[in-house]
Amino acid sequence: MAARRLVLGTLSVVAFVVTWQVVLSLIRWDPFFMTTPWLIATAVREQILGGRLWHDMAVSAEAFAVGFALAIVVGIPVGLVMGWRRRAAYALDPLLSALYASPLIALAPLVIITAGVGMGARALLVFLLAVFPFVFNTYAGVRCTDQLLVSVVRSFGGTDRDLYLKVILPSVVPYVVAAARLAIGRGLIGVLVGEFYAASEGLGFAISRFGDTYRLPEMFSGILVLAVVAVGLTSVVRRLEAVVAPWRAGQR
Amino acid sequence: MPLARSDTRERLLMGLASLIVPLALWEAIPRIVALPRGIKLFLATPSQIAVALAGLLTSGELQQHFTVSALEFLIGLGLSIAVGLPLGMLLGSVRWLDDLFDPFVTALNATPRIVWLPLLILWLGLGIWSKVMIVFLGAVFPLLVNTYEGVRNSDRVLANVVRSFGGSGWQVTRIVVLPGALPYVVAGLRLAIGRAILGVVVGEFFGASRGLGYMIASAASSYRPDVMFAGVLVLMALSLALTFSVQAVEARLTRWRPEAAKTF
Repeated sequence: MAARRLVLGTLSVVAFVVTWQVVLSLIRWDPFFMTTPWLIATAVREQILGGRLWHDMAVSAEAFAVGFALAIVVGIPVGLVMGWRRRAAYALDPLLSALYASPLIALAPLVIITAGVGMGARALLVFLLAVFPFVFNTYAGVRCTDQLLVSVVRSFGGTDRDLYLKVILPSVVPYVVAAARLAIGRGLIGVLVGEFYAASEGLGFAISRFGDTYRLPEMFSGILVLAVVAVGLTSVVRRLEAVVAPWRAGQR
Repeated sequence: MPLARSDTRERLLMGLASLIVPLALWEAIPRIVALPRGIKLFLATPSQIAVALAGLLTSGELQQHFTVSALEFLIGLGLSIAVGLPLGMLLGSVRWLDDLFDPFVTALNATPRIVWLPLLILWLGLGIWSKVMIVFLGAVFPLLVNTYEGVRNSDRVLANVVRSFGGSGWQVTRIVVLPGALPYVVAGLRLAIGRAILGVVVGEFFGASRGLGYMIASAASSYRPDVMFAGVLVLMALSLALTFSVQAVEARLTRWRPEAAKTF
């Protein structure tokens, strides 16, 4: 079945690209508003050879990586404490839930105006968007820890440390990996919005600049690269999810 | 972990405290400590924000921006429901169509839809339609994917029962598949609302002359932190109200599901 899916999927992508190319070679079109797959492919090749693309990718990747790492380093401990200390959960849950459910991207202008147009502001945006999935999934993971296992460790004289290391952490891991999947999507939004808003380099900047200057093939090549990166990151996490939480592997 | 009844009061108190204490500190610190001018440019105290909010309301400015944003949100979300639900059901029940569409759904769903914004502005201009489309693109995939999952996970045994008693394909859909998919659809709607608001805000940041996102961005760049925070506050309130009301519906529809399944 997987083979059929691959064949049909490839077929539909090829058909889409070919139709696009053929239709545009038959009708007159305005290069300010349209472009062809062939021109996009040429632009991708030029940008890869030109080196500008690699530079933009590296700039965006840096902001993403810093913000994402910060989200993990802050989010998981907060989630652990909320899960394990009831009072902490009572105090933090309403505030953090409200922040999680609200469009924090609305703070982007403030973040950029206060933290500047550099990498730091974009990393901060990524952090703001990506931290909440880690907090809440870790929290849920701790709460779903098998109480029987907790009792066993306690009965055999285990300390809090044993509980954390032997029971809670392992049960939290699948939740954290699921959080990473959500956080990747949110973090990418942070990078893009930050770079659309105020930047002089980076993938988001390149895409918006090429859009502003009507260079559609170059703009599409930026979008294409971003799509490849996004799909790549997501599928890596999905693989990981299939390893640590096989019961969730079927979902996309 | 089941909660003892005596806990609910403590829970309420702690929760309220966690909201009030930071607000009080936020209000008090700038009054007590002399903050450098640079920071004052970016910060407004809660009382200043309240004053700005009242001013925006009386001048009618807020209502104007809100109307534009709400229109973009409603049209975009409406379109995404109109496309996402039928397409999700179709892909969930017809295997070869699912296989054909899979690369597109996966790639578009994994890529932040915001990336299409420059193109949409180029194509549709700075009016509401570029924002409507970005809202649509953001909201349609959670709806589509969740409907798809709901249809795929429908109960085979129940479907067989309906068929055994002579039920038609349509009856299987109506009696088994649709009710089974409903909780998934509502969960998808909750996600879609969040994406839609994100689309409205970001869309209005970059290519608009009206709307709440535009109001926030222009207030930020003209150093009016009070107006900016007022806008953020209104957006937060709206999205919380929408999210929690859908969550309430969701909780009712999924009462039978164990806690663990709800967290994702």
